[in-house]
Amino acid sequence: MVVWNVVNVTINKENLSPTIMVENKKYWKGIEELNDSELVKSLQHNEFPTEVSTEEFLGNADKLEESSTTRRDFLKYMGFSTAAATLAACESPISETIPYVIAPEEIIPGIANYYATSYYDGHDYASILVKTREGRPIKIENNKMAAINGGANTRIHGSVLNLYDATRLQNPMIKGAKASWADVDATVKKAVSSAGSKKVVVLTSTVISPTAQKLINEFGATAQNFKHVSCDAFSYSGKLDATAAAKGKRALPTYDFKKADVIVSVGADFLGDWSGQRVNGDYSTRRVPGKDMSRHIQFETIMTNTGAAADKRYKLKPSEVGSVLVALYNEITGSSLAGANKTLSSEIKVAAKELKAAGKNGLVVSGGNDADVEAITIAINDALQNDGTTLSYAKSSNLRQGNDNDMNQLIADMNAGSVGVLLIDNLNVAYTHSGNAKLASGIAKVETSVYFTESLDETAAMCNVLCAKNNYLESWGDAMPAVGEFSIMQPTISPLFNTRQMEECLLNWTGNSKSYYTYLTDNWKSTILQGGDWKKALHDGVISAAPISVPQGVSTEDTGEEENFAAVVDLSASANRIAKHKGGEFELEFYQKTGMGVGNLANNPWLLEFPDPITRTGWDNYLTMSASDALALGIENWHVSNGALNSHKATIVVNGASLEVPVFVQPGQAKGSVGLAVGYGRNSAGKASTGVGVNAFSLMNGSHSADVKITPNTDVHEYACIQLAHTMMGRKIVNETVLGTFLNEPPSNEFGTGWNQKIEFETHKGPLASNEVNLWDDFDHQTGLMWNMSIDMNLCNGCGACVISCQSENNVPVVGKEEMRKSRDMHWIRIDRYYSSDMTDEKADEEGISGIDKFAAMEHPSESPDVFFQPVMCQHCNHAPCETVCPVAATTHSSEGLNHMAYNRCIGTRYCANNCPYKVRRFNWFQYYDGTEKQFDVNYAMNEDLGRMVLNPDVTVRSRGVMEKCSMCIQRIQLGKLEAKKAGHPIKDGDVTTACQSACDSGAITFGNINDAKSAVFQLKKDKRMYHLLEEVGTQPSVFYQTKVRNRA
Amino acid sequence: MRKRLIDQISRLSFTIIIALTSLLATAQGVEGDVEHGKSLYNANCAACHKLDKKLIGPALGDITEKRETDWLISWIRDNQALRNSGDADAIAVFEEYNGSLMTAFPQLSDQDIMDILAYTAYVPEDKVVVAETPEGPVASEPSNTTTIIVLGAILLFLVIILARVKNVLKQIKGLETNTIIEEANVVTRTALKNPRIVTFITILVAIVLFQQIFVALMAIGVTQDYQPAQPIAFSHKLHAGDNKIDCNYCHYGARKSMVSNVPSANVCMNCHMNIQEGPTTGTEEIAKIYDAIGFNPEIMEYIEGYEQKPIKWVRIHDLPDLSYFSHAQHVTAGGLACQTCHGPVEEMEEVYQYSPLTMEWCVTCHRETEVKVESNEYYAEMHKSLKEKYGADTKITVEMIGGLECGKCHY
Repeated sequence: MVVWNVVNVTINKENLSPTIMVENKKYWKGIEELNDSELVKSLQHNEFPTEVSTEEFLGNADKLEESSTTRRDFLKYMGFSTAAATLAACESPISETIPYVIAPEEIIPGIANYYATSYYDGHDYASILVKTREGRPIKIENNKMAAINGGANTRIHGSVLNLYDATRLQNPMIKGAKASWADVDATVKKAVSSAGSKKVVVLTSTVISPTAQKLINEFGATAQNFKHVSCDAFSYSGKLDATAAAKGKRALPTYDFKKADVIVSVGADFLGDWSGQRVNGDYSTRRVPGKDMSRHIQFETIMTNTGAAADKRYKLKPSEVGSVLVALYNEITGSSLAGANKTLSSEIKVAAKELKAAGKNGLVVSGGNDADVEAITIAINDALQNDGTTLSYAKSSNLRQGNDNDMNQLIADMNAGSVGVLLIDNLNVAYTHSGNAKLASGIAKVETSVYFTESLDETAAMCNVLCAKNNYLESWGDAMPAVGEFSIMQPTISPLFNTRQMEECLLNWTGNSKSYYTYLTDNWKSTILQGGDWKKALHDGVISAAPISVPQGVSTEDTGEEENFAAVVDLSASANRIAKHKGGEFELEFYQKTGMGVGNLANNPWLLEFPDPITRTGWDNYLTMSASDALALGIENWHVSNGALNSHKATIVVNGASLEVPVFVQPGQAKGSVGLAVGYGRNSAGKASTGVGVNAFSLMNGSHSADVKITPNTDVHEYACIQLAHTMMGRKIVNETVLGTFLNEPPSNEFGTGWNQKIEFETHKGPLASNEVNLWDDFDHQTGLMWNMSIDMNLCNGCGACVISCQSENNVPVVGKEEMRKSRDMHWIRIDRYYSSDMTDEKADEEGISGIDKFAAMEHPSESPDVFFQPVMCQHCNHAPCETVCPVAATTHSSEGLNHMAYNRCIGTRYCANNCPYKVRRFNWFQYYDGTEKQFDVNYAMNEDLGRMVLNPDVTVRSRGVMEKCSMCIQRIQLGKLEAKKAGHPIKDGDVTTACQSACDSGAITFGNINDAKSAVFQLKKDKRMYHLLEEVGTQPSVFYQTKVRNRA
Repeated sequence: MRKRLIDQISRLSFTIIIALTSLLATAQGVEGDVEHGKSLYNANCAACHKLDKKLIGPALGDITEKRETDWLISWIRDNQALRNSGDADAIAVFEEYNGSLMTAFPQLSDQDIMDILAYTAYVPEDKVVVAETPEGPVASEPSNTTTIIVLGAILLFLVIILARVKNVLKQIKGLETNTIIEEANVVTRTALKNPRIVTFITILVAIVLFQQIFVALMAIGVTQDYQPAQPIAFSHKLHAGDNKIDCNYCHYGARKSMVSNVPSANVCMNCHMNIQEGPTTGTEEIAKIYDAIGFNPEIMEYIEGYEQKPIKWVRIHDLPDLSYFSHAQHVTAGGLACQTCHGPVEEMEEVYQYSPLTMEWCVTCHRETEVKVESNEYYAEMHKSLKEKYGADTKITVEMIGGLECGKCHY
């Protein structure tokens, strides 16, 4: 025990030794100073040790002198050995090539294998093809054979990256500690058998797998008191209840947009996130301008991709959805239900008239999750008698089955302590139901809570047994997305970690010794296949077969709930309830961003960085608000000096819950309404997603909209918004016209006012087209192949699947929010979004506005704008401005009409990017793949060993200081050509597809050899809608666009 | 030259040994051609029999001592017939080997069988290992150094002649003559005093030095002639050269894929399950395959639950990642022989990198190589327009169809 003495001394400035004390305190240099004052004293006098002479140090001086090794020699030896070591180190490293010991029959190194499988995460479903290289899944492609959801959405295209997320849960855990599967099995089995009269509950999102459902039912039979609750992250329970009441089956119909002549959508973002059915492809087949083009009228709150695609778009508040539908119903049927909308009556009249004319080829769809609204929608569709044409209740969809009543009952039961065992799968309930305060307390009261999970997410924090789950690419499974439509999920890689899929666990816990694969094939053979070939079904991934019935939501107290639905629907009661519902001053609509959905793939940097199609903003969610509301509330959006977007924030309060959110001024947002995307604000999904956005689920409770109070503040939020100019300023960037003009007028006329006016220059040789006015000699593009791409802006609905597909095909790096703010995003294909402005050249002429005033006004998007999407990638100009300025010829022209980019030749002057009129060149400002640059550690697809598995081995990973850009997927072109050469046939359509093209289930992108008169792109080039982007600059691009035509007068 | 001499000697000695052994074999009492017998044995018997130990069938090394020649002939011709005839020995052998059937060889003549038996009976006096010296790449042109030496010699010769001539002239004029060495000293001294000459020589030396450094730097990363030691002393000469196994049999990826795969051990096992002993390294190297894959040659079975060890070959041809090379393009579409780039692999005991694999080398070949446009329908349309462009008789090179464009190899 050391006793610290305090000694009084006076200050002696001349003797500032270490022992000097200031006032009453003594400062010790160390404990030794206190304990061994002798040593300290000696050190005070002689701080440095005695000098030792060199001779003494070297020992025997005589001997040293006798030595044959002199100091000089010593230095020589040292120099030599250093040089030798350096030289020896110069030897190039030995690289090994390690073949398989036993090569799998189907794998030839260097050749990709494709497997058909299905994606399902409880929310999104698609039948897909998985491209694997040497056993690694690296890319998702659409499965064109699928009758339903053969087109993967943006998120599913990105889902392959989540497989290689190192933050995945790698082992099962019990009460926070790593456990073995045997422990888990024992724990759960014991818990189930000892649950007694307490309930055993399986809580899932919608189960679309008939085999998994069968297994869940079997598992239920082992418990005394069992209940299966399904609950969707983004609830459609109200709609389902209404359909059950009207149609006797609790299932949403499937829609056939191919047959829809007139589509009226009231609040339904069916091209974005809606019923789970992907309808983009069907919708687009009817959007080709011509007599057959469909007519689409959209009423909506927030600006969606669907609204952007519509021919007519009207704004409404979420609370008005019901009243518009009532008005529509009244108009169509001639009834007079209460609560019909008055503010939009003329628009509704027009819509009703067109719907009536279309009859069974008309279709009305509605948004929200309100049973009354859905009841009216069903009634309108019934009035149109479109069951069997544009929608089908018989071939119903299984993609949304969640039941909020069951969920609420479960939460009540848990809180009452009557649930003994809770198993959760495919639903991060603690996150999606974070608005429900009782949930957490409920789960805490459950003795054994088992969670099948891929990550240590919000729900994992609440449950005591964590079953580390396989990724879908490691799992067997099946799906029945709609009645009579089946698909198979097959593993494309062995589990990377010590994980097990839910079905394997259930088999074990029900005492079944079969593997899930055997169980699955047995079930298929006995039910679905009906004598069909399993191998063929597995190869195709999908099969249409006779419907099978699998009881859902099974409960031991179940009394055949399916028949309980009342077939009587009281429409007037529904209408009365709708009439009574009045929204508040501000209404909040919850929506899903294209890139994130409900946040199931949250820790995916591709998807986080993906710029939202409408707001062009990544790495965020935000409150969308109309410009006039923002002005009234004093909220501003502004650009800072480097072009990045900033805004004020606001605090929003919904039912007592509050959240501070950035406010984004959104053209097309209904006045008095705001929108907020769910899926963000994840704090435990992994390092990429941590701290990105706010959790809108914490405000949500079943309904898709709510009244909200907004209190703006002056806090500043920084966005990663990559589009600075939102209007076209009167230029022909996206050429547009309306159907009548397109059908009846020539594209060009002598007044220069045609809807697709040919650009001509006056020269001494007379008027010449831009491609005829040249300083340079033309390349020979008649010999051999000549690649061209057509992009149809009538078919593109901006979904962005192409962006992510390109990213995974071409190893495009993720740069993170800070870099994105500096417009240093690396996407090779971007989808520009333009709004129309209230100010046009014609209007300016009429009103006598000119010069800077006109252009200033033109910069402002309209509050009810038309929206245009324009995918822009390298245009592969045949007179490329980039090629002429490159000092090292790193970018050169090919005989096939492509603009090549040799990375190793590039010295990074960036002249090319500056000279590119399309701004499609991307510069590697940093070593994005370098894991040691902390700034880019979100880019795990490139800078972690596991993440790198997703990289396409056919495409170089670019280094710092080089320029890159779209190569037209030259690796695919080369492969396509090679395959054609091997087979000995000329290149034909389909031999080469680009990544963007193959991802586009709308068919907006066509690619092919223009020198082949049989190719689709050859026909499209001759189309009268065809034009080149910035044709007047004379770059002669290989990419051309098709004029946007809206079906309106 | 030396190598060739050794090679010739070794071949000669091989022939002599064969001749001697034939004589010896005759002396041992079984008349037959050992060489012919060996090839027949390898083709027909080696799958099931070894000379020195039991495989599927019995060891045949001393079979002529155990059995009568006539019996052997009838057994080999049709063992089933022999058994059916009630031959006790035949039935005993059959039963000893658990009733495994031996193929009948009715196509073999008596002389053939005698040859085989002669081969089995032949015992070389000492195990003579015939060393086949591998032939390295033979320089076909005289190297730079030789040229320089020759030129230098000529120069020296001229200098001496000139000095002599000068001396003769001096003698005629009656002046004092110098010896060649004295003359050389005088010339050197005068030259070194002349600043122009010194400058000239300095510049010359500098240029040569720079050129040499440049050449040395350009050679960095060029690994021509790289011949690393491999984990298994696999001889391409033996497999591809002597035994004429098609390259594609093992490197099956070359025709289909961009990668010409290194064969997996299971491909080796297709033959080496039976061929357990090689002519040069015996069992030692082949055992490494068994060790990798987990095979027990004694009982001819794969070992259950064996932890397989991949064979870590050392990569010889290693193009940088920035260039994309497809074997299928060159082999299948282009119809090139493997040897065009890889050299005479079938003569290589140990493989070395034959070509420099530099871009210059690629480009030169692309400039010169003619595309076989006629034989592939893929080029049909292209060929028509190319003919119009370049004339009907012009040879269409890879360059003409865009084979020199950056993006064809770099993406």
